Amino acid sequence: MNIIQHVANLLIRSVFHADPASWPWTWLVQAVVIGIAAFLAFAFVAIFAGPVSWIERRIAGRIQSRIGPNRVGPQGVLQWLADGVKCWLKEDLVPAAADRPLFLAAPYLVFTGMFGAFVVLPFGAQVVAADLNVGILYLLAITSLVVVGLLMAGWGSNSKWALFGGVRSAAQLVSYEVPSAFSLLCVVLLAGTLSTQGIVAAQGGWPWDWFIFRNPFMFAAFFLYFTAAIAEGNRTPFDLPEAESEIVAGYNIEYSGMRFLFFLFAEWANIWIMAAISAFAFLGGWQIPGIAPEQIAATKGWEFVGWQALSWTIFLVKATFLVFVVIQIRWTLPRLRVDQLMITCWKYLVPLSMLMVLGVLVLLALVPEGGGADTILRGAMVGLGLAVVLVSALRVRRTFRVDREHYREMEGRDLWYPPYRLP
Amino acid sequence: MEGFLFYLGGAMMLLGGVAMVASRSAVSAACWLVLSFLGSAALFAALQAPFLAVLQILVYAGAIMVLFLFVIMMLEGPVMPAEAGRPKFWIPAGALVPAAIILVATARWVPGAGLPGFPGDLPPGFGQPVRVAQLLLGEYLLAFELISIVLVVAIIGALALGSNERTLPWK
Repeated sequence: MNIIQHVANLLIRSVFHADPASWPWTWLVQAVVIGIAAFLAFAFVAIFAGPVSWIERRIAGRIQSRIGPNRVGPQGVLQWLADGVKCWLKEDLVPAAADRPLFLAAPYLVFTGMFGAFVVLPFGAQVVAADLNVGILYLLAITSLVVVGLLMAGWGSNSKWALFGGVRSAAQLVSYEVPSAFSLLCVVLLAGTLSTQGIVAAQGGWPWDWFIFRNPFMFAAFFLYFTAAIAEGNRTPFDLPEAESEIVAGYNIEYSGMRFLFFLFAEWANIWIMAAISAFAFLGGWQIPGIAPEQIAATKGWEFVGWQALSWTIFLVKATFLVFVVIQIRWTLPRLRVDQLMITCWKYLVPLSMLMVLGVLVLLALVPEGGGADTILRGAMVGLGLAVVLVSALRVRRTFRVDREHYREMEGRDLWYPPYRLP
Repeated sequence: MEGFLFYLGGAMMLLGGVAMVASRSAVSAACWLVLSFLGSAALFAALQAPFLAVLQILVYAGAIMVLFLFVIMMLEGPVMPAEAGRPKFWIPAGALVPAAIILVATARWVPGAGLPGFPGDLPPGFGQPVRVAQLLLGEYLLAFELISIVLVVAIIGALALGSNERTLPWK
């Protein structure tokens, strides 16, 4: 019996108080539950990409002192549906000089690589499609398939801009996979397992049980991973494969309609994946403070469902917060040059990440878990984390005030709007 | 389930391999090879070795083939012109492969020996990352390190083949 069937049985048993194994149509019930679960996961990618595209455009508008999409629906929330319908109805152009099979297959390979990653993401205490014992390695493997798709798109388009985009993206992904893999190696060293649920289970609900606050090297490893993951996702400041001013649009330049949208789906799905990996590998994942995973598994009925929902919510909040950070970074920082990009990776991030692995190994050998030194280290790291959050919050508050004052000085009236009230 | 995975993976490998040899453009050939690697990953998964399956995708499909594609694109991979006939050595080579397959298949079915059985129960921890690591970094450490020499040779060979017009350091 695989894990999905197990989860399906667990859900049925706890909600309906009946043993599905005793029913005559067990396989049918299980198939329906699994089908719904698969549909939900698939729909999650599609539906997540839509609103996030709208949110990103609104944030971009705000940061660039313009309005952004606000016409379709209240505040423009339905803009992504309109865009989707538009792209669906557009003609699916294939350039006459293109390598047709490669050109047609590339978007699907990119999307499949991204969607495959959702199989092992631990959404909640019992909510994971497959708890593979090689989970985090599987994540690295399946997302590395995306590069093949991007290269196929770049080559198949038979356009020099698309080819530049594809080759740039391949160079970038292959380079930045090294520091991100080393950072995740630190996590694996601490957790002692490759399974994603095992990594979450090795942490705890409270911040001082998270891996990021375990020791200074893990703290640095989190930021290393986050930087490398942004670069792997082709996001600004590392979005050279899509640099408009240099190569027009990159590997997706010749695509139109739904095929073009598939690349964007993959891009936004990738933001979610990198945020989710950061959340479960460093920030405690779905762990609920004060409740052990075994206690959740022991509960019955709606209580079980409630705990599941709470763990799911905690995970979603953490990951969504990181998604917002990624979006804000995109619209804040300028793009790097190609040589700067490679120097950042090979001269700084790679040696640093090796140093992190070494440091984690040394501390693992010297500082026993649960001892006095461990407690002091964790406490100090949580304090450092709080200080970082506090400084950023104060900085944001000050920026808002200065912004409002400037507006009043220039216009002589109070028309400045806070971020939660957009025009 | 294993049977299904076996035939699926085997078909992917065969299709990918044949199409790779037959395709005229170097980029298409590389993409077909990726399909072949995915098929072999499926075979590893069917053999209860998820770790090897994932490594197959990560190392071969994800890293090495990307590097291949990258290099092909940098060097403007050649597209073979449509030829009147295939090279002559194809015919003996094409005859050799099925002959070899038949030989291997029949050698396993010598009378009395029976089919080599699949062990009913796998040893505990079979195919787990821990077990693979113990074998790789313990028992077969020397062989594991020696294999890296093959990779170095391959890199030098690719350099020599790929840049026939440029000046190589030893020319």
